Amino acid sequence: MAVLTLEHVSYIYGEGTPFEIRALDDVSLSVREGTVTGIIGHTGSGKSTMVQLFNGLEKPTAGRVLLDGKDIWAEPKKMRDIRFRVGLVMQYPEYQLFEETIRADIAFGPRNMGLTEEEISRRTKEAAAFVGLEEALLDRSPFELSGGQKRRAAIAGIMAMRPEILVLDEPAAGLDPRGRDAILEGIRAYGKETGSTVIIVSHSMEDMAAYCDDIVVMAQAKVCLSGTRDEVFANAKRLTDVGLDVPQITHLMMKLRARGVAVPEGIYTVEAASAALRKLFGKGHTV
Amino acid sequence: MKNIAFGQYYPAHSPLHAMDARMKVILSVLYIVAAFLCKNVLAFGALLVSAAVLLILSRIPARIVLRSLRPLFFIMLFTAVLNLFFATGTSVLVSFWRITIYVEGVYSAVFMLVRIIVLIFGTSIFLTYTTTPIALTDAIESLLSPLRLIRFPAHEFAMMMSIALRFIPTLMEETSKIMNAQKARGVDFSSGGLVKRAKALVPILIPLIVSSVRRADELAMAMECRCYRGGKGRTKMKVSHLRIGDFAALACMIAFGATLLYLNHRGIGYTM
Repeated sequence: MAVLTLEHVSYIYGEGTPFEIRALDDVSLSVREGTVTGIIGHTGSGKSTMVQLFNGLEKPTAGRVLLDGKDIWAEPKKMRDIRFRVGLVMQYPEYQLFEETIRADIAFGPRNMGLTEEEISRRTKEAAAFVGLEEALLDRSPFELSGGQKRRAAIAGIMAMRPEILVLDEPAAGLDPRGRDAILEGIRAYGKETGSTVIIVSHSMEDMAAYCDDIVVMAQAKVCLSGTRDEVFANAKRLTDVGLDVPQITHLMMKLRARGVAVPEGIYTVEAASAALRKLFGKGHTV
Repeated sequence: MKNIAFGQYYPAHSPLHAMDARMKVILSVLYIVAAFLCKNVLAFGALLVSAAVLLILSRIPARIVLRSLRPLFFIMLFTAVLNLFFATGTSVLVSFWRITIYVEGVYSAVFMLVRIIVLIFGTSIFLTYTTTPIALTDAIESLLSPLRLIRFPAHEFAMMMSIALRFIPTLMEETSKIMNAQKARGVDFSSGGLVKRAKALVPILIPLIVSSVRRADELAMAMECRCYRGGKGRTKMKVSHLRIGDFAALACMIAFGATLLYLNHRGIGYTM
């Protein structure tokens, strides 16, 4: 069941000036409820513009954005409600922290929703737990935290609104591998435990392969490929045509298969590859 | 946010784009003087014609330049209305209740309006639309350099100006990003009373100030890393030269000023 749909959406920056840029060109796609969907593409492929259409921060130049089958621009006055339902974490969200404590900052969204104090504090704690921020950190100032911790606090600020659809624009950009895994795990946990739909924008095929059910590939302001993870990665040729690639481990597995090693198809993570090889060569071997 | 014309260089190939920026600064000062020389219908007419000529020479679409008038619309309206009602003279045009409008008032209202429009047109065509910010600050540095004799830090002044200009679009982009991020958390900028709206600005201003300080720090560090030590002994990669065309433009401007002075004496109608 599609929860979020774009219908022939186009978006043009600076229309009618010499600086006109067509960021999205007749894009149609739908996101299945309860899945983790990855949007992948190079810089300038229109990813960041697209996510700002999801919660009505930008209005499409042409086309419609449907949430549960209803056009979100049907009643622009109720846009605030749409934004609570579609929570958007923008790029480098740590620069938007402003309250005196992390706790207050995470509570900012829920407070704007007009929830009771108990509910706010419950949700703040819950959101902090999702991203792995310890209770002791919550009463510190955002400016005393490390970059990775600030990023987690900012993501928790959106999770605390408990959106039905959580959209994250490059949530792991600029983090070290450990921080990246921690954040992506937290996001997956949020999706699983609340049953929410998650949309992640990234340019890392490895992350997408490890965390997403569905993948949308963007290139030159258009959707170039979309479908389940297996469907998309089966099209390795199309991916390399637009300068993207299947994960390196998948490459390795393909090469092994070409040499006659009977590893199964559809392996996208090092863990899965390791398990498959173990199975193939018996328990005694270490891979 | 993205439509603000301030400091918006408009790339095109035109004689005005090709001119030396120093000459353009001088010409725009002279043009302002010219706008204040005008005293009667003929002179103001010539001024309007000159603005049109500048527009054609610059090869910028008229609607782009007209956009720069929009933010000053209320000032223009206010000036015109003030002049219309409060200028006194000898010949009454209409008189009702306690208000008397003189023919002179109508004249001066129209004159002031033309003057403001032409001032904005002239300076924005000379300085912002046809000159890149970098060329402009270089020109100002060069024009101010004689003041070094009295220890005026011309280079530092120009550097500060170019940094400020350079970061206007960056800050605007940053502002709209932060606004979007806070809107996504349910901040409402467009409803509620004055206090509520002012409060809604806090989540914007604090991150904006923090990031500006961070940015300034990074910029200072980057300049330091490239051994920036002020203007002393610094040479330029692109040295601009005044050409015959630039002096011809100057001559045209002086001739234009003289024409205005002459027209001021051919008195037709009201003289300011």
